[in-house]
Amino acid sequence: MLVLVLGDLHIPHRCNSVPSRFKKLLVPGKIQHILCTGNLCTKESFDYLKTLASDVHVVRGDFDENMNYPEQKVVTVGQFRIGLCHGHQVVPWGDNESLAMVQRQLDVDILISGHTHKFEAFEHEGKFYINPGSASGAYNALDSNVVPSFVILDIQQSTVVAYVYKLLNDDVKVERIEYRKC
Amino acid sequence: MYLNNVLDMSISDELRHLEMYLVDEFQKGRKVADLYELVQYAGNIVPRLYLLITVGVVYIKSNELSRRDILKDLVEMCRGVQHPLRGLFLRNYLLQCTKNVLPDNTEEASGGENESGNVQDSVDFIQLNFAEMNKLWVRMQHQGHSRDRERREQERRELRILVGTNLVRLSQLECIDMERFKKNVLPGVLEQVVNCKDPISQEYLMECIIQVFPDDFHLQSLNSFLRACADLHPNVNVKNIIIALIDRLANFSQNEEGSGIPSDIQLFDIFSQQIAQVIQNRPDMSPEDIVSLQVALMNLALKCYPEKVDYVDKVLETTEDIFNRLNLDHLEHGTAVSKELMRLMKIPIDTYNSILSVLELQHFGPMFEYFDFKGRRIMSCYIINNILENETNIPTQEQVDLVLNIVNCLVQDQNDQPEEADDPDDFAEEQGLMGRFIHLLHSDDPNQQFLILNIARKHFGSGGDQRIKYTLPPIVFAAFRLANRYADLKEQDENWKKKCQKIFQFCHQTIGALIKAEQAEIPLRLFLQGAVTAGSIEFENHETVAYEFMSQAFSIYEEEISDSKAQLAAITLIIGTLEQMRCFGEENHEPLRTKCALAASKLLKKPDQCRGVSICSHLFWSGKSSDQDDEMKDGKRVSDCLKKGLKIANQCMDSSVQVQLFVELLNNYIYFYEKGCDQIPIQVLNQIISKIQEHLPNLEANEETDQINKHFKNTVEHLQTMKFAKDCKVSFEGLTIE
Amino acid sequence: MSFFGFGQSAEVDIILDGQDSRKTAEIKTEDGKKERYYLYFDGETVSGKVNVTLKKPGSKLEHQGIKIEFIGQIELYYDRGNHHEFTSLVKELARPGELVQNTSYNFEFQQVEKPYESYTGANVRLRYFLRVTIVKRLSDVVKEQDIIVHTLSHYPEMNNSIKMEVGIEDCLHIEFEYNKSKYHLKDVIVGKIYFLLVRIKIRYMELAIVRREITGAGPNTFNENETIAKYEIMDGAPVRGESIPIRLFLSGYELTPTMRDINKKFSVRYYLNLVLVDEEERRYFKQQEITIFRRSDKNRKTYQATAHHPTRERKPDPEPEPEENSVDTEK
Repeated sequence: MLVLVLGDLHIPHRCNSVPSRFKKLLVPGKIQHILCTGNLCTKESFDYLKTLASDVHVVRGDFDENMNYPEQKVVTVGQFRIGLCHGHQVVPWGDNESLAMVQRQLDVDILISGHTHKFEAFEHEGKFYINPGSASGAYNALDSNVVPSFVILDIQQSTVVAYVYKLLNDDVKVERIEYRKC
Repeated sequence: MYLNNVLDMSISDELRHLEMYLVDEFQKGRKVADLYELVQYAGNIVPRLYLLITVGVVYIKSNELSRRDILKDLVEMCRGVQHPLRGLFLRNYLLQCTKNVLPDNTEEASGGENESGNVQDSVDFIQLNFAEMNKLWVRMQHQGHSRDRERREQERRELRILVGTNLVRLSQLECIDMERFKKNVLPGVLEQVVNCKDPISQEYLMECIIQVFPDDFHLQSLNSFLRACADLHPNVNVKNIIIALIDRLANFSQNEEGSGIPSDIQLFDIFSQQIAQVIQNRPDMSPEDIVSLQVALMNLALKCYPEKVDYVDKVLETTEDIFNRLNLDHLEHGTAVSKELMRLMKIPIDTYNSILSVLELQHFGPMFEYFDFKGRRIMSCYIINNILENETNIPTQEQVDLVLNIVNCLVQDQNDQPEEADDPDDFAEEQGLMGRFIHLLHSDDPNQQFLILNIARKHFGSGGDQRIKYTLPPIVFAAFRLANRYADLKEQDENWKKKCQKIFQFCHQTIGALIKAEQAEIPLRLFLQGAVTAGSIEFENHETVAYEFMSQAFSIYEEEISDSKAQLAAITLIIGTLEQMRCFGEENHEPLRTKCALAASKLLKKPDQCRGVSICSHLFWSGKSSDQDDEMKDGKRVSDCLKKGLKIANQCMDSSVQVQLFVELLNNYIYFYEKGCDQIPIQVLNQIISKIQEHLPNLEANEETDQINKHFKNTVEHLQTMKFAKDCKVSFEGLTIE
Repeated sequence: MSFFGFGQSAEVDIILDGQDSRKTAEIKTEDGKKERYYLYFDGETVSGKVNVTLKKPGSKLEHQGIKIEFIGQIELYYDRGNHHEFTSLVKELARPGELVQNTSYNFEFQQVEKPYESYTGANVRLRYFLRVTIVKRLSDVVKEQDIIVHTLSHYPEMNNSIKMEVGIEDCLHIEFEYNKSKYHLKDVIVGKIYFLLVRIKIRYMELAIVRREITGAGPNTFNENETIAKYEIMDGAPVRGESIPIRLFLSGYELTPTMRDINKKFSVRYYLNLVLVDEEERRYFKQQEITIFRRSDKNRKTYQATAHHPTRERKPDPEPEPEENSVDTEK
C-alpha cells in the first residue's frame, strides 16, 4: 500500500509549481492514498493531487482559504492509525513534545505534520513522526534553505517504510526509513 | 457508375487475354501491322478503340513501327470517345496498357522508322492523354440536371484517381530530371489545370502535383506553381493547396539530413510574395483563409529558418496589414477567422517555447488588439501556461512590462469585457495562473529584481479588488525572498540595508492595498510572515519594521476579524509566530506578549479562551527577547497562564468539553513539568488527574468520550513511561497514578 | 445442249491462255451470289482455245459454222430485252461443215479495248464475256464464258482535300476535312471534324459511304442509294473546340471505282455522308462526293510485264463539283 505524504505547496503564493522532477515521479495509478499537511492554497493544487489518487486527505494550513479542510484528521491505513495536522497550531512549531501531545490526543501510531518546510522523521516513545517538508520548496521566513521534499509510505502489515524524496541541486535523492509498530 | 467500373474491369481482362494471344500470333510470324488495320474495320467506336489499344501495345512490343508514332496514334484516336465516362475509362485503359512500354531514355530523335522514341515522347503522350481526360472529367460537371449536382460531384470525386494517374505516370518516368520537369512537364500540366477553370479538378490536380513529384522538383519550380495558384478558379480552396505544399517543403527541410533548403532558393520570400499575389487576385477570399495561409507561411518560416525571427515577424506584420485593410477588429470569439488567428499566434509560442523569443517579435503584441475580450483572454492564458510549463524566467523590467501589456486582459478590467461576472472557479483558476506566473518574473540581479517587482506591482495593483488577492501575495513573498537575497549579498552591496528597508516599505504598502480591498486573513498572515522575515535580517530598524508588521497584524486581528473560530486561529498564529521571533528587545517583546495573553483571554468562547491562554504560556517559556541570552523561562507566568486555563475550564458548562480541556491542560502541565518549570508542583498534576478520573466515568458514553478516554489513557501511559524512565531529567516522585 | 434428245451434240469449253498464272476476281451475280472469273484489263489480248467435245463418239456433227465473240454489254434490269453491247468482236473458228471428232480451235482477240469495269448493281450490270456459237440448223450450240475487267487509274495529279465549314445557325457549326477527294479502293480516308459550335446534345457521329447508282436518262432516271459502310467515329457529345479524328480503311468494303455516265446508260457514284445523331434521335448530315478509283499496283505491273501487253490506264473521273455549305437534317 503506497501512501503519498506531502504538503506546504503554497502555490501560487510562494512559488509557481511543484518541481518538474517531482512531477515526473508522481504518476497516476501507483499511489492509493494521499495525506496532505495543507497549504495547498488553491483548488488547482487539490485537483492535481486528485489526478494522482482518488483518496486525498487534506488538513488546513495557515494559508488555506478552504474552510472545509479540518484542523486535524485521523486516517486508518492497514494496521496504522495516522494523524494528520498542519502544525502551525502546535506551539512551539515543530517541537517534539508539543507534537507528542497531539499524538496522544489523536491516539495515533503515526503523526504527520508540516509547516516547518523541513523534512523530519523520527520515533518518539514508540510512535512515528513524519514531517514531509514542502513539496514545492516554498519560501519559509525562518529558513532560507528550504529543500523540496515529500514522502512515500509503503505500509505492509505492521511495518512502514518511508521513502523520502528530496530535490538537492536539481537531483532527486531518496532515503529510506523503516518503522515497526510495537 | 459502379457497374461501368466493373464492366470496364472485365473488358480489360478480356482484352488482356487477347493481347497475350496477339503477342503469340506475332511470335508465330504474323504481321501486327495487319492486325492493327484489321481491328479498325470495327464499326463501333468504343470496342474498336479498346481493340486498337490492345493491338497497339503488341505493335509497340513487336518493334515493327516507331513506338512514338503508335503512341501518338493511339492517344489521338481516343479523341473519338467524347462520352465522359466511357472516354475516361478508355483512356485509363490506354494508360494502363502502355504503362510498361513508354520510352524512358534521353536519346535524341534519329527520325528512323523503328526508333523507340525518348522520354519526351512519353511526356507528350501522357500530357495529351491527361489533357483529354481532364476535359472529359470536367465535362461531367456540366451534364445532366442541376439538381443532381451533388451526386455528380460525388461521382467526379470517385473518378479523380483516373485523371491523377496521368500525373503519377509522369512522375514515374525516370528520365525526367529537374530541367525537363521545369521546362517540359510542369508548364504543360499547370496550363491544363489553370485553363480547365474547374474548381474540383484544379483543387485535386494541384494537390496531386504536390504529392506525386519529388520535393526538390517543387523547390526549383515554386514560382510557376504558385503563379498558377494565383490563377485558379475563385471557388478553389487555394489555401489548402498552398498549405499542402508548404507543409511538404517544411517537412522536407527537416527530413533531409543537414542539407535542408538550398541557400539559393529564397523559399520564404517566394511564398511570401506569391501568397500576397494570391490574396490580391482573390478579393473574395475569406479572412480566415487569408490567415490560414499566414499560418502555413509562419510554419514554413519556423521550420525552414528557425533562426530568422524577422520572417515570423514579417508574417505577423503582413497579417496586421491585411486586417487593417479589411477593417477587421475585435474578432468575435469562435468565428473562423478568430480561430485561425489564434492558430497563427500560437505557433511562435509553441515553437519557441520561450516568451522571451516571442517578445522579440515586434508585431506579436499589437495583433492581440484584433481579438475580442474572450479571444484575448484565451490567448493570454495560453501564453501564461506556456511560460509556466517551460518555467521561462522573465529577467528584465522591460520584458515584464511587455508581457503584462500583452496579457493585460488577465491583469486588469477591460473596456470590452462582458457585464456579467465570471464563473468564480474559472476566475480563481485564471488568477491562480497569474499568481504562479509572478514567481517567474525573476532576475539574477537583485536590483533588476526590485525594478521587476515594482513594475509588476504597478500592473497588478490596478487589477481591482477581486484580482489582487491572488496576485499581490506572490509579489509580497517575492519581495521577502529578495530581502533575503540582499542579506546574503551584504558583503558585495554596501547599500543592502537601505534596499531592505525599501523592500519592506514596498511590502507594507502592498499588503496595505490588500487591506483596502477588504481582505483580512491574508494581510494578517503576510504581516506575520513579513515580521519574521524582517526579524531574521539584520538591517537597521529591522526590529522597528518587525514590530510595525506585528502591530499591523494585531490591528487587523482586532479590527477586521470577528468570527470566533477565525479569531482563535489568528491569535494562535500570532502567538506561534511571536514565540519564534528573536529580534525584539524587552521593550517591544513585553507589550506584544502581553497583548497576546490579553487577546487570548478575551476570546469569546470559554474553551477558546482556555486553549488560547494555554498556548500563551509558551511565550513566557521558550519566547526570547534580544536583550537576554537565554529563553525567558518565566515559570511564574507560565504557571499563571495554565492556572488561568484551569480556572476557565472549571467555568465550562459542557462537562465533556470540560474534561477534554482538563486532559489538554494536564498535557500542558506535564510539558512544562518535564521542561523543569519549578513553578509547577507534582501535586497539581495529581489534582488534575484525580479531577479527570472523577469526572470521566460520569460522561455520557459516546465517541467523543471514547476519544477523551484514549487521550487521557495515552497521557497516563506517557507519565508512567517518564516516571519509570531511568534517564529522565526530572523526577516524577509523588505522582499518583495506577 | 439438245432440244430433241437425238442427233449429235457437242460440249464446248473455252480455255483461256495462261489460266494458271492469271488472277481471278469476284463479282456479284444478280441474285447476290459471288462468282469468280479471270481478270482482264483494258487493252489486254484475250486469247485461248475452244475445245469442242462430241458427246456421241463416232457420229458426226453437222454445222453451219463455228464462231467466237468477245462482248461487252450493259444490261438494265428493267429493260431485259435490250442489252446494250458496247463492244462486240467476232472471230470465225470454222467454216460450215462436219465435225467427226473432238476438235480444238485457237482464238485471239488482240489488244481488246475494255473501256469499262465489270459491274453488278441494283439495276444494272456491265459484263464482258466470250461466246462460242456452233451454228446449227435447228438450235445452235452456245457457250458463254464471263471474264472480269478492272479499269485502272493513274494516281491523280490533282487530289485536293475536301474541307468545308458547315452549320446550322446558332445550333451546330463544324468544319470537316477529308484528306483527299479521290481515293483508290484500298485507300484510307483520313480526316477530322472540328466542332466550332455545339448547342445540341450529340449522341454519336458516324461516317457512311453511300453508293448511288443512276440509270436511265431524263424522266426515266433511276437512283438507287445503298449504304456501303457505317462507321462510328465519335461516341458522346463533344464541346466547342473538339477535333475528332477520322480514319476509315476502304479495303474492308465492297467498293467499285466511281463510274460516270457509262456508255450513257448509267453512273455509279460514291458519297461520304457525315451523320450526327442527337439525344432526340434527330440526324444531322452532310454528304460529300468522293471519287473512287482502282489503282494500278505493283503486282499488276509485274503481271503486265510478263504479258508483254501494256494495259491502258486512265485518269480517274473528274473532281466532284462543290456543294453548298449547309447541313441537312432529316425529318
